Amino acid sequence: MSRIRMGAGAIALTCALLGSVAGPVTAEQTGQLTVALAAESTTMDPAKYSAGVDQYFIGTMFEMLVKPMPDGTVQNWLAEDWSIDDSNPDKPIIDVHIRPGVTFHNGDPLTSEDFRFSYERQADPNVSRWSHLQANVEEFEIVDDLHFRLHFSKPDAAYIANYLQLWAMPKKYFEQVGEEGFGQHPVGTGPWKFNSRKVKEELRLEAYDGYWNKDHHPTVKDLVIKIIPEDLTRVAALKTGEVDWIDNVPPAMLEDVKSQPNVATAAMPSGNNLFLDMDTIPEGPLQNVKVRQAIAYGIDMDAIIETVLFGQGIRYAEVSKDGTGYDPDLKPYPYDPAKAMQLMAEAGYPQGFDIDCYNLITPREPNMKEMGEAMYAYLGTIGVRCKVINLEYGAWINLGRRDEKTDQLNGGLLSWMWGQSIPADPTIAWGGHLHSYEPGKGWGSYSHVNDPEFDKMIEDASGEMNQDKRVAKLKEIAKRKHELVLGGLTTYQPLVTMAWNDTKVDYTPWPYPGFWRNFQEIGLKTQN
Amino acid sequence: MTRFVLRRVLQGMFSILGASVIIFVVTRLSGDPVVLMLPPEAPEAMVSQMRERLGLDLPIWQQYFMFLSDAVTGDFGNSYRWEMPVLELIRERLPATIYLASAALVFSLMLSIPFGVLSAVWRGSWFDRFAKGVAMLGQAMPNFWVGLLLIIVFAIGLEWLPAYGADTPKHVILPAIALGWYPVAAQTRIVRSAMLDVLDSDYIRMGRSVGVPEGVLIWKYAFRNAAVPLVTMMGVYFASMLGGAFVVEVVFAWPGLGRTVVEALFARDFPVVQAGVLFAALMFVAANLVVDLSYGLIDPRIRNDR
Repeated sequence: MSRIRMGAGAIALTCALLGSVAGPVTAEQTGQLTVALAAESTTMDPAKYSAGVDQYFIGTMFEMLVKPMPDGTVQNWLAEDWSIDDSNPDKPIIDVHIRPGVTFHNGDPLTSEDFRFSYERQADPNVSRWSHLQANVEEFEIVDDLHFRLHFSKPDAAYIANYLQLWAMPKKYFEQVGEEGFGQHPVGTGPWKFNSRKVKEELRLEAYDGYWNKDHHPTVKDLVIKIIPEDLTRVAALKTGEVDWIDNVPPAMLEDVKSQPNVATAAMPSGNNLFLDMDTIPEGPLQNVKVRQAIAYGIDMDAIIETVLFGQGIRYAEVSKDGTGYDPDLKPYPYDPAKAMQLMAEAGYPQGFDIDCYNLITPREPNMKEMGEAMYAYLGTIGVRCKVINLEYGAWINLGRRDEKTDQLNGGLLSWMWGQSIPADPTIAWGGHLHSYEPGKGWGSYSHVNDPEFDKMIEDASGEMNQDKRVAKLKEIAKRKHELVLGGLTTYQPLVTMAWNDTKVDYTPWPYPGFWRNFQEIGLKTQN
Repeated sequence: MTRFVLRRVLQGMFSILGASVIIFVVTRLSGDPVVLMLPPEAPEAMVSQMRERLGLDLPIWQQYFMFLSDAVTGDFGNSYRWEMPVLELIRERLPATIYLASAALVFSLMLSIPFGVLSAVWRGSWFDRFAKGVAMLGQAMPNFWVGLLLIIVFAIGLEWLPAYGADTPKHVILPAIALGWYPVAAQTRIVRSAMLDVLDSDYIRMGRSVGVPEGVLIWKYAFRNAAVPLVTMMGVYFASMLGGAFVVEVVFAWPGLGRTVVEALFARDFPVVQAGVLFAALMFVAANLVVDLSYGLIDPRIRNDR
């Protein structure tokens, strides 16, 4: 039997980090902190997870089998150990041992039954909006209270890319209170337990003193999460001391915030990877690789990031620096307008051409509208004359999707993005926007590319559950994608900045914006 | 009077029904909410299943009648986004919006009544020009911008008032000013011109000649009559406050209905938008009804005419 053990080194590190024996938090937790977020979760039930924003609240109270750490590595979390049994490569098995001694906030111990219950809810399309991600699990086998196996009908790399995508949910408690009761008073294993919530106003949490992780836990007793959507108001609340910590400092106000006395800031890449999508329909100019390369050379992204985004962005080439399949040899295209003009002429467009360029105007990432406008303006200088069409979020999503019932790009350009957590794994994203569109099969749902070679490469990588082999395959795809400028021209990752009162708050930033808002490690400074 | 009230109530019901049809059709013109609810790679079978679950696969007229028949029983369905009863969301949020709109209306009247009355009494004076200036300033600036300025000056600069939230009576002051400043100009004009008419009338001149103190004459006798046109417009002002609150609530993180409906609009959360607009229409109609009735009470001539 061939057995691939995942994260053997990681397990050793985890043991060192977490302590070899799980047990409740021992340090006394006192005091209260108030933090302010720009947006809030729509649900507190992990099975009803809808979008990245839901991670904000869910992640404070609920946990998964593995978790990205502050240093960017993914470590075992509720899983003490897990491995892939690929003795039958067509039907792999993920074998999981749960960490012993973990309890839910109501005192119930965490068992395999809870994970099976979680799987069943997450696989039910009437409950979960992500049920398709469980589609390849054909059997959930319980070996004992702390040991279970996931039997797959076919290899599924996305399952690993999504942190083994099972949230620990308490079966017994859920059955006692029902779905509505669970949503109103959630109970998980996380560092924070639910206290109260006023929708669109605040969430009150209390540090769980029975929390299993002795090394990574809050040291403050009460946490109040306020919702303040307006940027200036949120910054004002920090300045006046009404709140102690804020997220999403707008780039234009960053210098002002940093200049405040006793304010600390930390910036992290947003979970979104932005790119300029190009519709390569046969009758359009973008089907010509030289035109696509000209566009890549024709935009001065560094200058745009510096001026429009006040430096709050990082360039990347296909895969971000901390992502799966990152290749340090792959560099973003440099700004070279002369070369761009030459490529345009070689492609048969010495006089340029007119094209529809679609831009998102609803706030989603800082200054995204202005970033799009600047990129399209640069293109005008090399003869790609954009007719800029502004879209609100719904229309933008519609246009991105390859649904025949909605409007299509028709050979145009679209400022778009993909998000797959941090560390980013492009397996799922490329299946969506680089693989050819195959209705009903889940491939190319928002793809404007038709390339059989890529289809083969992506399908191959998507079925590769061995991490090392998948990384090699992703690098190959990234290289070819970069050369051909297909599946979009990767532009930048926005940086998201949080700020806090440094005299009062002791805070360890965790990666991925969703996780840093989970306040795994936060406390009052005077206590330390 | 009973016939008058009944007629007004009936007209109000037709207005609400009309608003419900318009908002029902307009929301559906904005696109498919399921596209925003499911991830892009969701299989088409899942998309169809979700549409079916939400009843969005039915003809629009059928969807409307289902909505209407449920709405009259107080059931506005569940929010697509929040997966909770819409009525619950509205019940929690509406009082905060009414509170803010009322506070803003009180603020606007606190400015416009003395401005209007004293501008008429001291016509052409420096105060007349000053009042006009202050009132016009409120009309010239968008309320969200006024809100941000107020935060910078009174919360960050002077540290007198909180920047956001709704925990104490102090919290309502800045949002009420931001919201209530805009109609001050119009209200001042109404009071001023009405006062000018009244101050020029025989009974005021008579009062003055028999030695009625000027203060009593202005505030007790003149203003009472001059207030009639202002009261007439009060329903419209209150409704405009409710509309304006949508933006001000976002600026001050005020937990009201406006913010909820604006976010629902972007998310194509049809049930919340429909119910939110319907409740806003209901309040608009109710406010105008109350004004109509009070107008009749203030001015007996009108009551008798009807």
